[in-house]
Amino acid sequence: MKFSVQKEKLLEGLQQVQNVVSTRTTLPILSNVLLQANGNEVHLTTTDLDVGVRGSFEASVEKGGATTLPARRLFNIIRELPTSEIQFDIDGKNTASIRSGQSFFKILGLPEEEFPPLPKFEDAKVVSIRQKDLRDGLRKTSYAISTDETRYVLNGVLFSFKENKLTLVATDGRRLAMLDIELEFPRSHEADIIIPTKAVTELQRLLTDNGDVKVSIGSGQIAFDLNNTLLVSKLIEGNYPNYKQVIPSEAKERVTLERETFLNSLRRVSLLASDKSNSIKLNFSKNNIDITANTPEVGEAKESLPVTYKGRDFSIAFNPEFLMAPLRALTEDEVYLDLIDEMSPGVLKIQTPFLYVLMPMRISS
Amino acid sequence: MNEKCAEVWQRLATALKPQVSGDTFKRWFSAVELVDASDEMLTFRVPNNIYQFWIESNHMAALQNAIVSALGAPREVKFTLPTTRGGEADADEAIAPETAPEPTRESKSTGSALGLNPRNTFDTFVVGPNNEIAHAASLAVAQSPARTYNPLFVYGGVGLGKTHLMQAIGQFVWSKKKTTKVIYLSSELFINEFIDAIQHSNLVKFRKRYRQADLLLIDDIQFLGGKERSQEEFFHTFNTLFDGHKQIVLSSDRPASEIANLEKRLVSRFEWGLTAELQPPDIETRMAILRMKARAMQIKLRDEIFQFLANRIRTNVRRLEGALMRVASFASLSGKELTDEVVEHLLKDILQEEARHSITIEQIQRRVAEHFDVRLADMTSKRRPANIAFPRQVAMYLSRELTKASLNEIGDAFGGRDHGTVLHACKLVRRRMKEEDGLRQTISFIDSSLQR
Repeated sequence: MKFSVQKEKLLEGLQQVQNVVSTRTTLPILSNVLLQANGNEVHLTTTDLDVGVRGSFEASVEKGGATTLPARRLFNIIRELPTSEIQFDIDGKNTASIRSGQSFFKILGLPEEEFPPLPKFEDAKVVSIRQKDLRDGLRKTSYAISTDETRYVLNGVLFSFKENKLTLVATDGRRLAMLDIELEFPRSHEADIIIPTKAVTELQRLLTDNGDVKVSIGSGQIAFDLNNTLLVSKLIEGNYPNYKQVIPSEAKERVTLERETFLNSLRRVSLLASDKSNSIKLNFSKNNIDITANTPEVGEAKESLPVTYKGRDFSIAFNPEFLMAPLRALTEDEVYLDLIDEMSPGVLKIQTPFLYVLMPMRISS
Repeated sequence: MNEKCAEVWQRLATALKPQVSGDTFKRWFSAVELVDASDEMLTFRVPNNIYQFWIESNHMAALQNAIVSALGAPREVKFTLPTTRGGEADADEAIAPETAPEPTRESKSTGSALGLNPRNTFDTFVVGPNNEIAHAASLAVAQSPARTYNPLFVYGGVGLGKTHLMQAIGQFVWSKKKTTKVIYLSSELFINEFIDAIQHSNLVKFRKRYRQADLLLIDDIQFLGGKERSQEEFFHTFNTLFDGHKQIVLSSDRPASEIANLEKRLVSRFEWGLTAELQPPDIETRMAILRMKARAMQIKLRDEIFQFLANRIRTNVRRLEGALMRVASFASLSGKELTDEVVEHLLKDILQEEARHSITIEQIQRRVAEHFDVRLADMTSKRRPANIAFPRQVAMYLSRELTKASLNEIGDAFGGRDHGTVLHACKLVRRRMKEEDGLRQTISFIDSSLQR
């Protein structure tokens, strides 16, 4: 196999597929990237057996072929090479000779037959989504994914395709983020699937604000085809909990808040929230919210925020990080906080179909 | 729900309502049904899994408070869903997630919540001369933890009952007092969790969990060998528990002093209490094991079959039980008659395993040396006088016949001798056996004593 390529193109290609390679892997072939050269491009593939990515870069291919090379090492070498033109010459024993300017590298690879192939998607349901919509949706929900490995069903985002709507849901049992995307697809394509966290993270990296992504749902697998890159992932098997139950049906009080101001106040006040009593208190009174936090033996913080509020006086406490995360992810200027009482969940909403349910913390008197 | 449960639920609900907001109670608890109430556990049926997730994540404290105020003492809480077989919703006990046992129909009063197989109790353990010391020690430990032998170190080969005894101790202690913190796990799991805790900076939680145990049972402690950091961690865990008068029980496949790459201070601590060996059972014990197992599984077989099994499978109780199962299943499924040939064929692979592992060269050397009244060292020495060389040759011959070792391996075991030497020895012994009756008898005597 023999080809030459521009350093920038190769680097870009490698960057796209690098992250999927897991650092602690049992099979040596999994720390390698599969290179397949033919025509005037070279395809790169990496996988960790759950998630796989396939990209490509332009190259002048003198002799086609395929091999696998250590991904991390290759990336580090290419990054440091002096000139822009790089020549690859890989012999039958999968040894790659890399030349660039005066530098010469030789690295040993593994045969391409050993590389686990990405799954095929025959008879898959295919849906097309605007990249901008999906990217936005994932950003507004992915922070709420559970990291508790014992509840593996929650270690991912639910993609619920129903009635011309894609609903994204992420929850960890203490808070839940949900967002709807309008989408057209036939009845037969309705499905509830759970995309694992790693795939969601990779997807967010690959998504841009332009164009569409073609989503193919196979059995137990999903593929995202976008911008010349293919991301494939296993789906989490199991039943996602019925999230609708979590959402309070009605609110007693609703407050309109300026998102950024609120977020900044929270950030400042939460500096005085300790690891032990990790909570901040919101005290609602007429047209005012007092945001307070205190740590015994250290000190306390308080900020007053003028708002439009005409409801009754009451207080409610939240985990500061759980309250700030959605505020960071949203871009809207205004958000609405729906509350019932100090023991019931609060709901953060915006103009478009999105909501964030957050359980309060106990206020110890 | 039945009447008793309905009444209990009424009381619970009354105690719960003030603790959660009215909205919360209506949303999450009005659809909950109490389907079972025992002294230790309450089982709630919920419409679907989100109820369990959400209540477990957010309202457990309130629920337990209500339980305490309504019923006087905390209970274990379990959730079931309507469509499943009332099965294992991941309830919230979770100490040491070892391989779960079979469906917990009987489970509520066994330690399956702790990861213990309910079949491993003192009642199902067959005592014989091979294990009576270990058994007595285990019983003593179970009856008065930390007051008799601490630590208790049990070792023995494969399939001889180490795990059975350890789990029996666990079950016994737990059944006496349900609030005892019994932790059972293999050392491999301990090591993995330790590594995990380091990576996720969860050491505090890890240490808290293991150092707060009342009874720590660790299986296969030999896996700690060579893992320095884990050994150090275990050393501290051990000390904390020991100084706090908490019982520690360990099992291993070899004595503590023979575990490779194990720190001396751990070896000395393991030997501090009582070390008990589990040896392979003798024929009567094997028969007793088979009979007990057959009775428990309601298997009826001819006595000769039991004898056949007991005779042919000598080293490993697990293998013995497996063979019994195979024979019994074959008999009931095929309805064919069981003759010795049929059983032999059925258990062909098991019997092969037996033959391969049963005798070691060292055992042969020992027995032959004993018989001919020479020293064990003479087996490997270079001395040529016939009274030493001949026993050596006999031992080589027996090694060739009774083990699957190659000529080279046998030669190595006899002081680095050449494979040709071994071959010559075998030929010589064979020739002489043909000529001398006495020698043939001697050798067959040694052979059968090796086969026990």
